[in-house]
Amino acid sequence: MKISVSRYTLTSLLLAVAVVVAGLVVGELNLEIFAFPVNVILMALWLVMIVELYRRRQSVVVARYLLSSQATIFSLVISVALTIWAGLQAKPATTNFTFVVALLFVMTQVAMVTLRGWRNGGGVRWLFLFSHLGLLLALSAGVWGAPDSAVLRMKVGAEAVCEAVDVAGHKRYLDYDITLSNYKVDYYDNGTPSEYRADVVVADKSVVLRVNEPYSVSYGEDIYLVSFDMADKARPCVLQIVRQPWRGVMVAGVVMLIVSAVLMFLRGPKR
Amino acid sequence: MIGWSEFPYFASVTALVALVGAVAATRERTRRMATVALWLATAVMGLFIVLLWIGLERPPMRTMGETRLWYSFCLLVSGAFTFQRWNYRWIPSFATMLSTVFMVVNILKPEIHDATLMPALQSAWFVPHVSIYMFSYALLGCATMLAVYGVVAHSDMDRAVERLLYGGIAFFTVGMLTGALWAKQAWGEYWSWDAKESWAAATWFLYLLAIHLYRLNAKSRKTICAVLVVAFLSLQMCWYGVNYLPTAKTSVHTYNK
Repeated sequence: MKISVSRYTLTSLLLAVAVVVAGLVVGELNLEIFAFPVNVILMALWLVMIVELYRRRQSVVVARYLLSSQATIFSLVISVALTIWAGLQAKPATTNFTFVVALLFVMTQVAMVTLRGWRNGGGVRWLFLFSHLGLLLALSAGVWGAPDSAVLRMKVGAEAVCEAVDVAGHKRYLDYDITLSNYKVDYYDNGTPSEYRADVVVADKSVVLRVNEPYSVSYGEDIYLVSFDMADKARPCVLQIVRQPWRGVMVAGVVMLIVSAVLMFLRGPKR
Repeated sequence: MIGWSEFPYFASVTALVALVGAVAATRERTRRMATVALWLATAVMGLFIVLLWIGLERPPMRTMGETRLWYSFCLLVSGAFTFQRWNYRWIPSFATMLSTVFMVVNILKPEIHDATLMPALQSAWFVPHVSIYMFSYALLGCATMLAVYGVVAHSDMDRAVERLLYGGIAFFTVGMLTGALWAKQAWGEYWSWDAKESWAAATWFLYLLAIHLYRLNAKSRKTICAVLVVAFLSLQMCWYGVNYLPTAKTSVHTYNK
C-alpha cells in the first residue's frame, strides 16, 4: 500500500493542531511527578516502543511515516517553530504540554532514523550516527533529566547555613553546611566590577569561588557564586546550587555532536 | 598605540586591496594576482586586530563593534580560502562587498568604546566561542548569497553552496556547543532558553533543514533558497536582533549596554 504525500502532510497538520489545542487545555506539566524513577521507566518504555516500531516498519503506518522524508522535514519545521517561539519569550514555558509533546515527537523521529542508519550499517556512516545520536543524547538529558534537575539559591554569611530556596520558592535543605569566611569585589577604574571572589567553607572544606569558577561538591552537584547583596550585612553572599544528575548524558551528546561537526567540516558534502 | 581611531586607515587599505583581488578573481588570467591580493587584504585586517588586542589589553570580542570587526575579517578569510581551494570566481566579490559593509558600519556607528571585561566573560571559552561563531556567520553569509545568485542567474551553484553550508554549520555547531559548555561553567546550566540561545537554535535548525532538503533531493532550488534567506535573517536576529527585542532586558547575553 502506498501512502500519498498529501495524506501524510494532512495527518501531520491535524496532529499538530490537536497537540496545540491539548496544550491549551492541559497547560503546564507538573515535573515533580516525573522525578526518578518515573522518568527512567518512561524513557525505557519509550525506547522499547521505538525498537518495536522499527521492527514492524513494514506493516505499521506510524513507523513508515516516522521513517519518511516528510517526517524528517516536519520534525525540522517543528524544531524551528519551537525555537523561534522560545526566542520571542523572556521565560519560555518549556514545561508546557505542547512543547514537551512536540519535542518528544522530534526525539522519536530522530531515534527512528538513527536506528535505521545504524542497522543499515554496511559501510557505517559515522557522521550520520554521531550527529543524530549526539543530538538525541543531548535532548534526552534535557527532557528526561529535567525532573531530576534543580537550581537552588541561598544566601551565605559568617554563620553556617544549609537552607536554600528552589525556583518555585520552596525551601530545600542541603546535607552539608556552607559558611562565608571572606569576600572581595575588585573594580576597574571606571567603576565596573572586574572580579568577584568568595572564600567559603563547604562541609568543612575551604573553597574559593569566582564567576566562571564553580566548586563541584559531588558528581552532578555544583556551587556557583552569583553576586553579593551588600545591603544584607549578615548574609551578603548569594550562591547557586545546581543539581544535574544527567550531566554525563549531556556531555556525551555534546562531545558526539562536536565530533560530528569536525567530520562534517573535514569531509564536506558527499554525492 | 593602535586603537579604534586608526581603524579607518586600515579599513580603507583592506577594502581597496580586497576590491582589486575581487576584480582580478573574475578572470582566469589574473588568478594568482587575485589570490595574493585577497590574502594581503586579510593580513592587513588581521594586523589591525592583533594591534587592537595589544592596545586594549583584552580580546577585542566583547562589544558589537568588535564582533563586526571579526566578521569582516572572517569573511575575507573564507572568501580567500574558498577561492583558492575551489576557484569559485564570485565568492571574493561577495565576501569583499559584505566585509566592506561591516567595516563601514563600524566607522559610522562605533559601539566600541569600553576597555573593561566583566567577570562572566573572563573565561578560556571566550575567544574560541566568539571567533568560531564569527567564522561560521561568514561562511553561512557567503552560502546564502551564492544560493540567491544561483536562483536569480539560473546557474547551478549547488555544489558550492552545499560545501559552504557544511563548513558553516560545522563551525556553528561547535560555536553553540562551546557556548553550552561555557554556560554550564559560568551559570550552572548548559541550556537555559535565553533569547540568544533560542535564536541560535532556530538558526541551526533552519540551516539543518536546508541541508536535509539538499540530501533528500528536494526538487525546488527556490524552496531551499527561501529557507536559506530565512535562516540568514534568523542569524541576524541571533547576532544583534535580540538586543532590540523587549525580552533583551532579561537576557544574560547583552554585554554592551
